[in-house]
Amino acid sequence: MSEKIGIYVCECGPNISSKVDIEKIMQELAELEDFQDKELIIKNHKLLCSVEGKKFLENEINENNLTHLVCAACSPRDHDTTFVNVCKKTKLNPYMYQIVNIREHCAWIIPDKDEATSKAIRIIHSGMDRVLYQQPLEEKQLDSNPDVLIIGGGIAGMEAALTLASKDRAVYLIEKSEKLGGKSAILKELLPRQGVTMNILRQKISDVQSNRYIKVFTNAELDSIVGFLGNFEIVIKGLKDTNNTTELLAGAVIVATGFDLTDVSSLDSYNIKKEDEVYNAIEIEKMLSESGKITMRNGSQPEKVALIHCVGRSEVGYCSKTCCDYLLKIAKLIKDQSATIEVTELYKHMCLPNKHDEVFYELVQEKGVELIKIKNANVTGTTIDFTDISDAKKKLDVDMIIVGTAMIPASGTAELGVELKIDQHETGFFQEAHLKINPVSTNTDGVFVVGGAHGPAGISESMLQAQAAAGKIFTQLIPGQKIIPEVKVSEILEAYCTGCQTCLEVCGFGAIYFDEDKGISVVNEAICRGCGNCVGSCPSGSIRTRHFTNPQIYQEVKEALR
Amino acid sequence: MDLSDNVLIIGSGVAGMEASLMLSKAGKKVTLVEKLSLIGGKTIKNEETYPNMDCSTCLVAPIQQEILQDGNINVLTSSVVEAITGDAGNFKVTISKKAGYVDLVACLGCGMCYPVCPVELINEWEENLTNKKAIYVPCAGALPNVPVINAEKCLQLNGTEICNKCVEACMFGAINMGEKDEQIDLNVGAILVATGYDMLDVSSITDLGYGKYQGVYTAMEFERLFAANGPTEGKLVMRDGEKIPSSIAIIHCVGRSQTHYCSNVCCMASSKHAHFLHHKLPDAKIYNIYSDVCLPDKTYQKFHEDVKAHSSKFIYQADRDKMKINEENEQLKVEYLDNNNKDAFIQVDMVILANALKSAEGSDDLKNVLGIDHDKFGFVEAQPFRIGSVATSKSGIFVAGCAEGPKDIQNSIIQSEAAVAQIMSFLNG
Repeated sequence: MSEKIGIYVCECGPNISSKVDIEKIMQELAELEDFQDKELIIKNHKLLCSVEGKKFLENEINENNLTHLVCAACSPRDHDTTFVNVCKKTKLNPYMYQIVNIREHCAWIIPDKDEATSKAIRIIHSGMDRVLYQQPLEEKQLDSNPDVLIIGGGIAGMEAALTLASKDRAVYLIEKSEKLGGKSAILKELLPRQGVTMNILRQKISDVQSNRYIKVFTNAELDSIVGFLGNFEIVIKGLKDTNNTTELLAGAVIVATGFDLTDVSSLDSYNIKKEDEVYNAIEIEKMLSESGKITMRNGSQPEKVALIHCVGRSEVGYCSKTCCDYLLKIAKLIKDQSATIEVTELYKHMCLPNKHDEVFYELVQEKGVELIKIKNANVTGTTIDFTDISDAKKKLDVDMIIVGTAMIPASGTAELGVELKIDQHETGFFQEAHLKINPVSTNTDGVFVVGGAHGPAGISESMLQAQAAAGKIFTQLIPGQKIIPEVKVSEILEAYCTGCQTCLEVCGFGAIYFDEDKGISVVNEAICRGCGNCVGSCPSGSIRTRHFTNPQIYQEVKEALR
Repeated sequence: MDLSDNVLIIGSGVAGMEASLMLSKAGKKVTLVEKLSLIGGKTIKNEETYPNMDCSTCLVAPIQQEILQDGNINVLTSSVVEAITGDAGNFKVTISKKAGYVDLVACLGCGMCYPVCPVELINEWEENLTNKKAIYVPCAGALPNVPVINAEKCLQLNGTEICNKCVEACMFGAINMGEKDEQIDLNVGAILVATGYDMLDVSSITDLGYGKYQGVYTAMEFERLFAANGPTEGKLVMRDGEKIPSSIAIIHCVGRSQTHYCSNVCCMASSKHAHFLHHKLPDAKIYNIYSDVCLPDKTYQKFHEDVKAHSSKFIYQADRDKMKINEENEQLKVEYLDNNNKDAFIQVDMVILANALKSAEGSDDLKNVLGIDHDKFGFVEAQPFRIGSVATSKSGIFVAGCAEGPKDIQNSIIQSEAAVAQIMSFLNG
């Protein structure tokens, strides 16, 4: 079939027509020397994006049997999709169309009409050159599995499981330890607010265990995973019996592996050593939930207790944001145990980011807890030498020290990140797809991160993140709905690939794997997003991205740079 | 019970937009109600977002475009929810939509209608820092890029005189002075409240001199002053249009003693403002006056430390209620209690008050219309037990974003995505 190129110049009412010479554009395009052997149909229209304009374009494509289409109009941000949708209604493959922006790039920015017209002709010419080198591309449709694997049975993992199960999604929940509940299960009270008790957590554990859509694997961890959104093949292994492996299929993965607390003895902060009467918050919570009160190692009740905030903050480089709140809670629990215990909190910055925190902070002060803002401190045994905010040097002798240590990524986070092909933030926690606007997704489609694995998070926040991941899965992975992967993906020309594997290193999506038998790199088209990183990095020039091939780009810039 | 697959979302900020797009992808029909004539919420008032200095427009404009082009989402701008009857799964909603007098389809947003309008009005969206016409879009780049007419001030519509200048200037016949306010009735299965926040009015804290001294700005005023599409096109000049400040004090926690909560975002926003100022005015002296610094994300402290090292001097004040700002020798004298509880002061050209976030204007009315509980601060109270929940006190009505309490963009989006999960699950029966 010979080429038949349709070029449609939109006037955008007066927006384009009053600033460029439409007649001249059409005339000069018709006379282009390098297009004399091609059949051109060049027309203008008052407003191509209008209902009538779209119908006009549709008829033109069909009646003229166009093989290529160029729309000279506005920014692709405004109407590229509009014209792609018109193509989809016709015989023309949408990848045989090109938009050229003569409004923002010419009419609206160049005061001189001749100059604007001449630039418009040139960039339309570029578009015509390019479109001739474009090739029809077809969307693929893949079946998908709506089931979900959740890694980690703490509050976030359980909340995700219950939310998914509420909409009849099958969930596999794997947990490293013997039982569900994670760190929250150790706590004395779930949150320092009235009405929030451990009953909620116990209820959740029993709901997860009895839910017919949730299959729980305790003492188990991920062994391997391959695949992509909609189709992951998973192997889990038992931790007690490593030969005991189970193969699972799922469409999405939620990582809820939680956090650890920094080990005080590994820190320089305040010179705190793990002495006899120095405890971290988890140890205190255990004590409180087992015996209902705090006692020293000799079994007696302390008369003076100091709580030190922000331990390890300067080493890890971030605020753990929950510690101020939970140390206030512990202070209150100690005062509830006995009002005669002197409780002092030493903090650098009081961080109370949730709306109910401040009222609680005021309540704790009313209970007689002394709060001292410090610049620095040095701990020897249970004696604290500190410099307060007014630069005064003071000494505090206590019977017991409780430290609020920084939250850090759970052990095994790095290995899990490699297996799941998800990035870690410089803090070691997993990195979100976009910090601001895509906060529970990751760089790998279909893998989500929630709770402490995502960064320091309290219980409420972890639960919300878990629900958010479920919301993403409900709307991205719909039972019975096909997955349509990106069309404009990279392809590797087997004959030229030298097997150097440079592309594997630059791919941010884990879309390229190495075929050992053939000794070449191969793109998994279901995962590739067509970013082009691999194209630029390939020393042998054997990779190209569909719809952005070198000849296509060369043709487009050739005329622009002439 | 008739479980309708339609969802009403009130508020088109980042939370409302995220939920709309997600629900649409799952095949739900969404009605997105926005009281202003543009969508995008408060995020689009920011030039850049902390801590990565992402351009806000670049983050949000593609989302706005997608919303406007989505066949499952019916966007009702200049609209408010008037009444709701019925129960979860089958709410009957009455929405009143103010006439904008410009046809959304016919108008291309070419802007030929504003210059000819003879009426000058204060532009509230620009924090009163500039004017607009009686036919206007609040800012360059507003979406939908279609102006509306203020009927009370338009000479034609309020009957002052036969004007019609904008009608004559419009080449698309898009302006229709005969358009009427509409009442729209809908049936929806679930409702999401994503009405966002407003800033605490600081003129009542008289010691700080806001409204009295020209050099005192609120954080949001400063955002617009810094914005490339703002009243000064990003040029940092003061209200007189000439003076460029050579010393600036940024005051944290303004109004916190009144609100009794930390507003969550101001320490980072104030660090960002210091960063902006330092880069635009490298010779300016910049101070941040704080009591505690709240940096609730793994990425925040690094940015804050960087600002502290390079852009601003951070000064501790012992009691935020003891600050006084007065004009002296054509400068602002900022008096505070220092770390020894002693009086201290600095003199600056400009003061930026990082004022508290509060529940959005009109949320009390909406609370009554919807019949949902608020907390004592005026935010929507999530139930039950106040933790990890986006449900309100009324079944079928959910909440996300700053309508529930002050929070940053990512936590607004997290709540919104969580609300989508709950709505999807709820509509499933």
